[in-house]
Amino acid sequence: MKSEERRPDRPPRYFTSLIAMLIAPHLREEILGNLQERYVRRVHNQGVSKARRRYWLESLAYLRPAFIKRQKNEYSSTTGQLAPIYSHDMIRNYLKIALRNLRRQKVSTSINIIGLAIGLATCILIMLYVQDELSYDRNNEKADRIVRVGLKLQLNGKDVGGSMLGINAARDLQQEFPEVVKATRFRGQGSEFVSYGTTSFKEDKLLVADSSFFAVFTIPFLKGDPGRALTEPNTVILTEETARKYFGNQDPVGKVLSFGSEKTPYRITGIVRNVPPNSHFQYNMLVSLAGDDQNPSDAGWLYRMNYHTYLLLPEKYDYKQLESKISRLAEKQIGGEIQQFLKLTPKQFREKGDDFGVFLEPLTDIHLYSRTETGSGGNIMYVYILTAIAAFMLLIACVNFMNLSTATAVRRSREVGVRKVLGSVKGQLRQQFLIESLLLATVALVVGLVLVTLALPFFNELTGKALSVNLLAKPVIAAGLVVGTVLVGLLAGSYPAFYLSSFKPVSVLKGRIMATRGSFNLRSGLVVFQFFVTIAMIIATVTADRQLRYMQSQKVGFDREQVLVIQNTNMLRNNEAVFRDQIIQSPHVIMGSISGQVPVGNSVMDNTTVMSKENPDQGVMSRFYFVDPEYIPTLGMRMIQGRNFSKKFQTDASAVVLNETAVKALGWQQNPIGKELIGHTDDNGVKTYYRVIGVVKDFHFESLRQKIGPLVMFLGGNSGNILVKTRTDKLPQLLASMKQQWESFAPAAPFSYSFLDDRFEQVYISEQKTEQVLTLFSSLTIFIACLGLFGLTTYTAEQRTKEIGVRKVLGASVTSVLALLSRDFLKPILIALILASPVAWWGINQWLREFAYKVTVDWSIFALAGLVTVGIALLTVSFQSIKAALMNPVKSLRSE
Amino acid sequence: MRRSDLGEFEEVVLLAVAALSPNAYTVAIAEELERETGNIVTAGAVHAAMQRLEQKSYLRSIWGEATAERGGRRKRLYAVTALGGRILEETSAVRNRFWDRISPAIRLEWN
Repeated sequence: MKSEERRPDRPPRYFTSLIAMLIAPHLREEILGNLQERYVRRVHNQGVSKARRRYWLESLAYLRPAFIKRQKNEYSSTTGQLAPIYSHDMIRNYLKIALRNLRRQKVSTSINIIGLAIGLATCILIMLYVQDELSYDRNNEKADRIVRVGLKLQLNGKDVGGSMLGINAARDLQQEFPEVVKATRFRGQGSEFVSYGTTSFKEDKLLVADSSFFAVFTIPFLKGDPGRALTEPNTVILTEETARKYFGNQDPVGKVLSFGSEKTPYRITGIVRNVPPNSHFQYNMLVSLAGDDQNPSDAGWLYRMNYHTYLLLPEKYDYKQLESKISRLAEKQIGGEIQQFLKLTPKQFREKGDDFGVFLEPLTDIHLYSRTETGSGGNIMYVYILTAIAAFMLLIACVNFMNLSTATAVRRSREVGVRKVLGSVKGQLRQQFLIESLLLATVALVVGLVLVTLALPFFNELTGKALSVNLLAKPVIAAGLVVGTVLVGLLAGSYPAFYLSSFKPVSVLKGRIMATRGSFNLRSGLVVFQFFVTIAMIIATVTADRQLRYMQSQKVGFDREQVLVIQNTNMLRNNEAVFRDQIIQSPHVIMGSISGQVPVGNSVMDNTTVMSKENPDQGVMSRFYFVDPEYIPTLGMRMIQGRNFSKKFQTDASAVVLNETAVKALGWQQNPIGKELIGHTDDNGVKTYYRVIGVVKDFHFESLRQKIGPLVMFLGGNSGNILVKTRTDKLPQLLASMKQQWESFAPAAPFSYSFLDDRFEQVYISEQKTEQVLTLFSSLTIFIACLGLFGLTTYTAEQRTKEIGVRKVLGASVTSVLALLSRDFLKPILIALILASPVAWWGINQWLREFAYKVTVDWSIFALAGLVTVGIALLTVSFQSIKAALMNPVKSLRSE
Repeated sequence: MRRSDLGEFEEVVLLAVAALSPNAYTVAIAEELERETGNIVTAGAVHAAMQRLEQKSYLRSIWGEATAERGGRRKRLYAVTALGGRILEETSAVRNRFWDRISPAIRLEWN
């Protein structure tokens, strides 16, 4: 190839063909001849390379309007040359014909437009969503230099690691590694009542942070000095929104807020912009960690691990380099602490099958990739799945278009024939059909944009985001839309364009085009594809729905109906018990219990190791619950051995109730009652022990995603909530009277409550959203697919009108005609069902792996999905089929 | 008299066609002009000029023979029309008249 191109008598070929394409056909021969001749002569006189260089100049000199302009009546078909790339007149003509055609075929036009519009709208919505997901934390100027330190920790076969470490980790890392430019840490601070004068709010997005926070993250200050922010104890930075909430338009800097029931004063030293919603941590107040960070010697990396640690690295630094160094330090630090707490050397610890270590996560990966973060909740899987759904929806819409245009080809074939006879060449016909589909795509885009505007509020609610149509005005996205639409138009129009333009005029004009079976096979293939996607989505939806129902209906081991949770009861301070005693006086209240622990979701995260007296080397990781004697009866939990806590026994202060799992884990299957757990050791080396007095039946104290773990219940002064078991249908009245009683104790504090079963459902909100999103998209896919099916039947029925007429005249029944027409469409759907089932089976099993308690995937899901699809498809097909079958044969046969 | 629409380059090209006739075609003229002026002259520029001249009816053209060095393509041979000839002569006459009026003293000053 190369040697041929270099042949001295032949100028550079790629350039020649470009010139040949651009210049007008009637000048082509002469110009190419001139170029060649000059080139050959130059090769002869000046050598090949100079000639080649000159050739460029020579060619460029020919690119002037005089040579590019076509002659008015220049039809390439007559000269046997390339078709012109652009002809203004012809394009006008194509547009005119396209408009006429679209107007004439109203059904197929509207099907195409609606289908494409829905496809495009879905795509746009998903694009906005995905764009938002990918933008997390990127507003930080040093986003690519920030990493978070994560903890890998496996205890008794259970992962208890996460993104939190003890208070010392940040300091140690900063001291130990010179490559750490800056280390910062912060912790979430539950919720707190904050008041200024008489205004008081419950703030639940407090972050307690280092002053280095601002050196790592990009936080724009509106007021105050970023350099000095959070350097002093008892200072606080507010976000714009929070500042307005407390102070309106006043300047809050220098004012003092009081925190909690102790009314601790905090001085406001600055105002920052609101946290963008696409940040993986959110706050409305930043509280100074200064003064609180004495780094007590007993605090390490594991002890009280509730600090998030972030490191700022030098530019162009690969964090992986640091990761291995940090791992060595962590081995020493965490290993030491494990030895201290568990009396196990790291080697013994690992031999037990457990493990520990640290890892670094780039800031920009946290939202989508982090498995440790519970708050932000992005998932790259969902991004992939949604992108795939968007692509599929669009593909299905394109398939519809291709299908319908192929089906209508018979109608258009005459036009194609006539055009060809009159001298059109393939290229021109292709152009015509592509322009037609581009026109359709453009209209669909406009309709799609309208749909997006309408659907956005709903979509936002579904995804919990605040996306706006304004985003579409971004140049990148707008350009993407235009390019996307053109691509869709070209893709959707490509098959019809090539198929229709290949018709042979002779056979078309003789009306022989119907005989081709090839097109039918391709169409069936496309229908199979559409329903493959549709059925897979229905299966996924049905499974998600079942899993959700399963989780919500699962026996959790306690009563959640009629249980009211009165929150923040520690606001009542010493009057908590009095208030409780007062409200249970009501005949509608059965029982009330004071406890901070609500067995829903992740209300407690403390994992602590407990050891039995007889086997002190064998620690069991468990959760602790601090309850009162009323707790178990109020929630209707069952004791299966021994007894509940009671006020009658003074000794119950050092008694525990275990759950079944804990009993098993401690190896006390036989008779756990009376066995003892090791408590703490006091300064004099005196150990206290906790006696097991009862075993409570296992109940789900976390979500059903996790397996029930060991649980130890103590009798203890943990307050914060009052759980009230009620018996009434007059809840509003009951609540009103409770509120009144509350206010007599704490007029300033707001009375807030929730229902246990509501909170239970809240835990499954992400599954609920998944299910809703799936339902939405699978209904849309099935709608678009059926739209296509509807169009196809319309044309088949129309095409076979005569056949049906003949059959009816010869005595065919309506049913047999119906069967005849439906059969063609059922076959591809059944094939799709068979193909989609294994794929969907694999997919849903992947998803279900996240749950410890899950539904089984059995054949009924596939049967149900199949039935639904076939049912809807039949319904779609039958409308046109019945019309065709009922048609009077006299009418259909007379038409010629 | 539409004398004004003959550009300088056009004039040279027209003259070259007349000089090379009956063997005047784009490449030959371009080469001739390069030789005479010492500047690079592209075939495209010459061709464009000849097209304009043809439009103005100063030139006519016919297909010539195909040669191997043109890749088997035909060349287009140009000839000056009667109108073209008259225009050339007129241009030349105008120039000559001016030349004649330049006093020898002035011309001596140039040299």
